[in-house]
Amino acid sequence: MPKVFYTQPDGTVVAVAASPGDSVMATAVRNGVSGVVGQCGGSLSCATCHVYVDEAHRDELGTPGEDEDEMLDCTASDREDSSRLSCQLIIGEGDVHVTVPPEQL
Amino acid sequence: MNQIATDYPFAPVSAAEAAERYRAIAADRPMTKVTMPFGGDAWVIHRTEAARAMLGDPRFVREPFRTGERVVPYFVEFPEFLRQTLQFEDPPHHTKLRRLVQKAISPKQVRAMRDSAVAYANSLIDEMVAKGDTADLVHDYALPLPIQMLCNLLGVPPEDHDKFEKWASSTLAVAGMSEDDVVANMAELYMYVVELIQLRRREPLDDLISSLANARDKDDTLTDEEILPIAMLLVVAGFDNTANFITTGIASLLQHPAQLELFLTDPDGLAPTATEETLRHGRFSLGIPVAGGGALVPFVATEDVEIDGQLVAEGEAIMIDPGATAHDGIALPDAERFDITRQNNPQLTLSYGLHHCLGAPLARMEMQVALAELFKRLPQIRLTSTPVINHDHLSQPITRLDATW
Ligand code: FES
Repeated sequence: MPKVFYTQPDGTVVAVAASPGDSVMATAVRNGVSGVVGQCGGSLSCATCHVYVDEAHRDELGTPGEDEDEMLDCTASDREDSSRLSCQLIIGEGDVHVTVPPEQL
Repeated sequence: MNQIATDYPFAPVSAAEAAERYRAIAADRPMTKVTMPFGGDAWVIHRTEAARAMLGDPRFVREPFRTGERVVPYFVEFPEFLRQTLQFEDPPHHTKLRRLVQKAISPKQVRAMRDSAVAYANSLIDEMVAKGDTADLVHDYALPLPIQMLCNLLGVPPEDHDKFEKWASSTLAVAGMSEDDVVANMAELYMYVVELIQLRRREPLDDLISSLANARDKDDTLTDEEILPIAMLLVVAGFDNTANFITTGIASLLQHPAQLELFLTDPDGLAPTATEETLRHGRFSLGIPVAGGGALVPFVATEDVEIDGQLVAEGEAIMIDPGATAHDGIALPDAERFDITRQNNPQLTLSYGLHHCLGAPLARMEMQVALAELFKRLPQIRLTSTPVINHDHLSQPITRLDATW
């Protein structure tokens, strides 16, 4: 079973067992990982599920689509090259490492 | 099955008893079928998890209400002009309109607006202090703050703020105006917004009306008919609710001395969680009777869907009661306690999913700023009478909150 590792802004890491096909946002919310809010439930309209993706998986997780790209300009914490909206990150067979930004709202 | 578990909606009872009933009802079943005073039967969801499942499921839509194919099952007759707004649109049209507005009140934009909100809150406090040592916190503080922020956001020129406030507040529950005055004011507001759209089309500035008026979609620009309802929704939803939330937050803190003492140790640090707790706990903090029945706008099932073991049949209407889900005893064990440090706060007052409140980041920011600044400046503030509530209005707002410092 793949795991998602969420690094919090203070450096602590929360590891959660995940199911392939689920999103990084849904996995966080279901397991009470703080810092991932996901108010729109994954419909790409709130920008409150922002995370920074670890260098190692950027390729396997693809690049943001046009709509995600637009919404990434709306995030509370600064956008970086590694920024993604975690409702759009679908978990495959391997582990995923992401960092939660300091602010979501 | 005991009697308590079967009764929903229920008439006003003490907050403690309301919490007890909500817990019992949620333990018993995820939702209840209720016959509404208007529009017939609808399911009302009591459990947080069931509510999230429904709100996140695209098989529930609002289209039939907008087209008039169905009457909105609700406690009051749902106003026509609100049925034409974004909240009754479904994708893909909803997505297009929503995105345009979203950018103007995104978390990022709202962060940039925070400093001006702090400055304005402080200027309101300056005025109150200059006038003496008492104030009605609704009219002197909780209402003008969101109105000012909304004017700035929409691009209402400073010289028009007073007119705008007068028209816009006639839509408010707290205004207590006659039906005729409300209609007249609404008509003036409509005309004003129409003219503002035209002005900003010709002379765009850096505001929401300008960006809507000049937004170029792939195929087309937005028409005035599309922009107007968005602007009206923002006016109506934008400060009535926010003002009400701010007042509830202030009153809740003033009525829970231990929580207030805690808040005063770190107002900026505790404002975010105090805000969430205010949104969740709502009227339970005010020490007044609470009725089981409040609900967000319903959806219609486009096919048979099972939620939390309950079949919702195609064509049935369904809504959530955020007061019930916030006190379901399942998502939140000690829900009756007002606790401004609560970290896990799954409240649904601003909804969730596709139709979660577009202005949520702005409303939250205004609430946080309003609470932190007031108590930082006037830590000794206290109520001089019990909050005055308008029980005749659906949202039962606090219309007066007299305080001294
Ligand atoms: S959950 Fe709203 S954009 Fe991802």
